[in-house]
Amino acid sequence: MSKAQLEERAVELTALAQDLRFHIIDMVFKAQSGHISPGLGAADIVTSLFFEVMNIDPKKPKMADRDRFVLSKGHSCPVLYAVLAMRGFFPVEELDTLRQLGSRLQGHPVAGYLPGVEVTSGSLGMGASQAVGIALEGRMLHREYNVFALTGDGELNEGVIWEAAMSAAKFKLGNLVFIVDRNNMQTDGNCDVVMPTEPLDKKFEAFNWKVMKMDGHNIPEVVATLEAARDYREGPVCIIAKTTKGKGVSFMENVSEWHAKAPNAEEYKLAVAEVRGGQA
Amino acid sequence: MSLVKAKQATRRAFGGRLLELGAENPDFVVFESDLGKSSQSNLFGNAYPDRYFNMGIAELNTVGAAAGMAAGGRTAFVAGYSVFLTMRAMEAVRSFVAYPKLNVKLYASHGGLTAAIDGVTHQGSEDIAFMTSIPNMKVLVPADSVAARAACELALETPGPVFVRLMRDPLYEFYEDGEKFQIGGSKVARKGTDITIASYGDIVFQALQAADILAEKGIEAEILDLYSVKPVDREAVLASVRKTGAMLVAENHQQRNGLGYDLSNLLLKEEPVPFDNLGLADRFAESGNYFGLIDQQGFSAAKIAEAAERLLQKGKR
Repeated sequence: MSKAQLEERAVELTALAQDLRFHIIDMVFKAQSGHISPGLGAADIVTSLFFEVMNIDPKKPKMADRDRFVLSKGHSCPVLYAVLAMRGFFPVEELDTLRQLGSRLQGHPVAGYLPGVEVTSGSLGMGASQAVGIALEGRMLHREYNVFALTGDGELNEGVIWEAAMSAAKFKLGNLVFIVDRNNMQTDGNCDVVMPTEPLDKKFEAFNWKVMKMDGHNIPEVVATLEAARDYREGPVCIIAKTTKGKGVSFMENVSEWHAKAPNAEEYKLAVAEVRGGQA
Repeated sequence: MSLVKAKQATRRAFGGRLLELGAENPDFVVFESDLGKSSQSNLFGNAYPDRYFNMGIAELNTVGAAAGMAAGGRTAFVAGYSVFLTMRAMEAVRSFVAYPKLNVKLYASHGGLTAAIDGVTHQGSEDIAFMTSIPNMKVLVPADSVAARAACELALETPGPVFVRLMRDPLYEFYEDGEKFQIGGSKVARKGTDITIASYGDIVFQALQAADILAEKGIEAEILDLYSVKPVDREAVLASVRKTGAMLVAENHQQRNGLGYDLSNLLLKEEPVPFDNLGLADRFAESGNYFGLIDQQGFSAAKIAEAAERLLQKGKR
């Protein structure tokens, strides 16, 4: 894609990302439960993956060579459910059932319930391991697909992340891309205070990963970085994505309590106005 | 049927069958956490290096990666020591394997106190409690080589997660080649009329020897091999106690939440009979000789025979 084409596409992707943010807010408001700001922060990355970078077909959710998305930070699942619905994997109306009895939209994602949800996640760190397993299968079968795993930065506290990192490097999984949603916030506060993980780039490099960096809200940069990581086949790539938790709703941005809080009617109106008004 | 000294442990028999099945079925894979020489998964790994993944000493990631490999329906065996697979990787087994019903098969060596000499850190003396507590999980404990080979086949052909507990050392051979086993099945290892002694795995042999001791005293014990610990053969258990009128469970495991607890619950609801159970009495064992240790902990043949006599003296209803 030329630079001009990419910028044109970026305008469309930006609008889609705002729609995605609307659905996240709307479904968490209707459920009066769920994680809102982690999804808002990841919306630009997830939109770029599902609408531009990944090879997927909603009509063939089990297509053998499809790219796989693993939401390791499973609590952010409103962003996954909403993008799958927007992309046509299931009806958008079903988003209204989030966390309700009998719903396929479980509080944290489970494999086999919803088309497009590849693995079970929610307990942090385990998406990374499963992504390694999926990438190993692709390598074993000589398939072309890529595995994109979105992890939180607080999630990197989990030891299994580093077990997974060691094993991905051992097997030179060139079909595996980790994207670290680096918003520097975790439940009990700032990541640097709760459990420092810097220097993150040097850590992954020391584990023999290729490291890339991007502004997780600059869509042309996001698309270009994801494609570069996808096309790098020598080994696993970790993209450190600088993001703002709650991005797109000013009163939720970088405010810890919005991690897992549902908006009231007034807050809902304000939040929707912001994402609908294009104030991103 | 009689006991013959075994030339190989059940872990070796299982690993050997897995190697053979690897030729018949090209689709399944095996994961290992750096214990391949011990679990004997290396028999498969040496023959099929492209289908064998040694993930290093990292059981949690090993089970997680196996779940990823199985996400599309493929079968993945995960070899390791029972204590590490059921505890270090417990959450991955529960939430990422059993919950989505993936075809991940846990190939667990050194179950119970069969890791006797290695000490408590290596003894899987709570493994049955952990695994039977998980929905969708099936639990098999073969007693000998024939049963272990059958357990390997059952694990491969049964959809969803299966846990197979194996032993460290060779004990005895009991079943004839060609003996049939099934999920939810059981074997009457010896017929009797006076008391039912139920067990699984290595302690089936102790129960059989206990039956010899009891026979000399005029007590005919019926020995049940409940190799399918979950689902357990409820009908066989009930049929046996309806005949004998008493049940003693002996197992190489903590008493709490083991087979004894499971059967006491079943019998209390369906067929209350005089009941006792033998196993670790809410305590850790220690390192030592296997036979010495199971006697110290109260489930050797001699201790089983004593407990059976005590139970009968208490009287049947």
